[in-house]
Amino acid sequence: MQFYLSQVIGRPVLDRHGEPIGKVADLIVAIGDRYPPVTGLVVKTDRRRIFLPWADVARFDTSGAQLATPTIEIDKFRQRDNELLLFADLQDKQIVDIDGRKVVRVNDLRLDEIEGKLHLVAVDVGAAGLLRRLGVEGPYRTIARNLRLPVPERYIDWEDVDPVETSIASIRLRVPHEGLRELHPADLASIIDQLAPRDRAGIMAAFDDEVVADAIEEMEPETQVEVLEDLEPGRAADILEEMSPDDAADLIADLSDAARDEILPLMEREEAQEVAELLGYPEDTAGGIMTTEFVAVPEELTADQTIGRLRELEPDAETIYYVYVVDAAEHLRGVLSLRDLIVAAPDRPIREFMYDEPVAVEVMAGQDEVAQVVARYNLLAVPVVDGEGRLVGIVTVDDAIDTVLPSGWKRRLPRLFSRVAP
Amino acid sequence: MPQLPSATRRRRPAPPDTGLGQRLRALWESRSLRLRSRFRRRGLLAFLAVMGPGLIAGIAGNDAGGITTYSVLGADTGLRLLWLFPITMLILAVVQEMAARLGVITGQGLSDLIRDRYGVRWTALAMGVLLVANLANTVAEFAGAGAALEILGVPRWLTVPVVAVAIWALVLFADYRTVEKVFLSVMVVFLAYIASAILAGPDWGAVGHALVTPDLGGLDPTLLLLMVAVVGTTITPYMQFYLQSAVAEKGIDEEELALEQADAVVGSVWTNVIAVFIVVATATTLHAASVRVESAADAAAALGPVAGELSSLLFAVGLFGASVLAATIMPISTAYVICEAFGWESGVGHRFRDAPAFFGLYSFVLFAGALVVLIPGLDPIGLIVGSQNLQGLLLPIVLVFMLLLVNDRALLGRHVNGRWRNGLAIACIGLVVALDVVLLGSAALGWLAVRVG
Repeated sequence: MQFYLSQVIGRPVLDRHGEPIGKVADLIVAIGDRYPPVTGLVVKTDRRRIFLPWADVARFDTSGAQLATPTIEIDKFRQRDNELLLFADLQDKQIVDIDGRKVVRVNDLRLDEIEGKLHLVAVDVGAAGLLRRLGVEGPYRTIARNLRLPVPERYIDWEDVDPVETSIASIRLRVPHEGLRELHPADLASIIDQLAPRDRAGIMAAFDDEVVADAIEEMEPETQVEVLEDLEPGRAADILEEMSPDDAADLIADLSDAARDEILPLMEREEAQEVAELLGYPEDTAGGIMTTEFVAVPEELTADQTIGRLRELEPDAETIYYVYVVDAAEHLRGVLSLRDLIVAAPDRPIREFMYDEPVAVEVMAGQDEVAQVVARYNLLAVPVVDGEGRLVGIVTVDDAIDTVLPSGWKRRLPRLFSRVAP
Repeated sequence: MPQLPSATRRRRPAPPDTGLGQRLRALWESRSLRLRSRFRRRGLLAFLAVMGPGLIAGIAGNDAGGITTYSVLGADTGLRLLWLFPITMLILAVVQEMAARLGVITGQGLSDLIRDRYGVRWTALAMGVLLVANLANTVAEFAGAGAALEILGVPRWLTVPVVAVAIWALVLFADYRTVEKVFLSVMVVFLAYIASAILAGPDWGAVGHALVTPDLGGLDPTLLLLMVAVVGTTITPYMQFYLQSAVAEKGIDEEELALEQADAVVGSVWTNVIAVFIVVATATTLHAASVRVESAADAAAALGPVAGELSSLLFAVGLFGASVLAATIMPISTAYVICEAFGWESGVGHRFRDAPAFFGLYSFVLFAGALVVLIPGLDPIGLIVGSQNLQGLLLPIVLVFMLLLVNDRALLGRHVNGRWRNGLAIACIGLVVALDVVLLGSAALGWLAVRVG
């Protein structure tokens, strides 16, 4: 569930039995987290403004709020230091950058539900927010669709805001003016999730393939498909190439047959082949969740040569931690950690110090089994081998635990495996 | 290894060793800064440093439309409505003082505060009306400047582009203080009206008497509307917007509040004193000779045969200066208002690339105004009346917002309006709003043809 602050202010607040007791006057968030959670509600009743803790709210959406408790304590609201009132403290306020230069004003505030709790995620500074406040967003969108006019949407990630420096007069950012354009892929994803297809195209056009690929990886599967099928096939192919092969394969598997036949031939041969291989495995097996991006080296190399090879390959953060050792026929012979390589004498053959009984899973092994192996051996990634023991891919820990953890949690984990360069 | 106490571990690295010379120098600098700032806050010099926003807003109020209204008032009714000016002076001083106080204490423009406190819709309304009204007004100012120099034989197609480019370049390339000094020097031009009034040789006793004697005999609709027009042209929204934004940009701080209040009041007095001299000049000459005029330029031209060429020349020079200053202030106040509403960087003192929206808007309003004037066959009087009506529409909204804002303790703390100041403000604003409703009502009814222009 997502909505904007302006869509809830002034909405009716009902008690448990559905009787109106007042109107939504403000929302309270506790600052400190990356995205501050909503902790309370200020209700304007006939006589006064009362404060309600969020636990008392049973239902909250753009039609209003309903309370869970039969009685309400009429506490006078007193703002604490780590709390912000969204309407009173933030709405319409001046935003200044880290140097104190005026940037723009807050047009609206974007709230998203993360793990069942409402959080403040972004500051709407675009024209769409202004139109919404003027009550003409809907009509304008209709006109814009027909006349092919743009609906400029701009958001500032709450992460870029420095709430400590925020005062009655202005909201200060942590970044200089120029640093603003970059949105985190996860946030770009949640924004794209929201948009009508036509508006999405505009956003997608504004970012390069890599950023969009990162964003798509963070989206819900249904949106991924919608977004990709809306794109022109050539661009879709380019974006798929930028995605990691396992995610790309999952996405392609979900595409309609027509779209798949159109996009696949346009991909670079190498990437297409990897994806095609991955597509052959059922989704809930090791083969289905593995990636074919990994580092494998012949067993004859020395430590120094292996490090040299790593430099050439420049593997992603996701895959650099383990170096797999294979023979000429690509059978998995051993595994080296990055640490092993670095502390070994440079001219020592890797065969001598590699771990030669590596844990591995079969391509057809179930997803749960993979997760168990990863957990039991405390691995960052587990190699996947085919029936003959040949190394065909790896499953990284984030993909492995996907089955065990709800997807919301994954986003919250430290971004150790982030595909975004810091 | 023994654990160090945490206080020791956290201690910051010692500052790099500075030589004795450097330290003495720093000490000397801090001492001299303190001395300088103390010096700055004393007496007339201190006032001269703060003075500016209020005076400029005041003299910009005597724009082409204002001079036209005053000239017509004098020519039509003589001295009998002169008592209006002490009243408009009081009202304007009350309103401008509030704007100055808001600007000094909050450090924000009026448009900033309206957006902060009253949201997008009211801001959009104020912004939209002010943009249209100021565009129309800018046209009127260029028309005034062009007409004034036509009396001196300079054609309009030459005056308007030269003036437009000159003031555009001044604001774009000079810093705030320089711009302010140039604006203030325009004050000298208004001495022309004083000279013009003296040349007319009025009966000063009668003038003094008229100033303090309300004369409502034979009040007919035309007279009433003329009175409304006088109040409307003396107190206009762009003056409050400009004053407060300029105070905020200049960064006048709380300690200098009294000086800035004085600046606002002096500006209000000055603009009304000049208005009185204009009325005296035309009343003594044109009214006595029963010459009717439609505009300020008309008045300047008509003065020639009645009061001599010098009088006519002085009147034209005054009109030119007033129009040029107002033609600069209108675009600036428009740019301030819109940038503040959207939260974009604004200010005369910035460089173009630091505040592109501000200078873009300024340039747009300025050149749009100048270009429209060059359209042959255009009637500036209609524009003046139209823009006055628009300003009149905006005025009650702006004044009510100001009244609410100056009573907001969260904003002004101990500087909120006290009881008697609030009473005065409410009385003044109530009167203006009532007269304003009359003006708008009559405009709506089409009762008033072009008389007010």
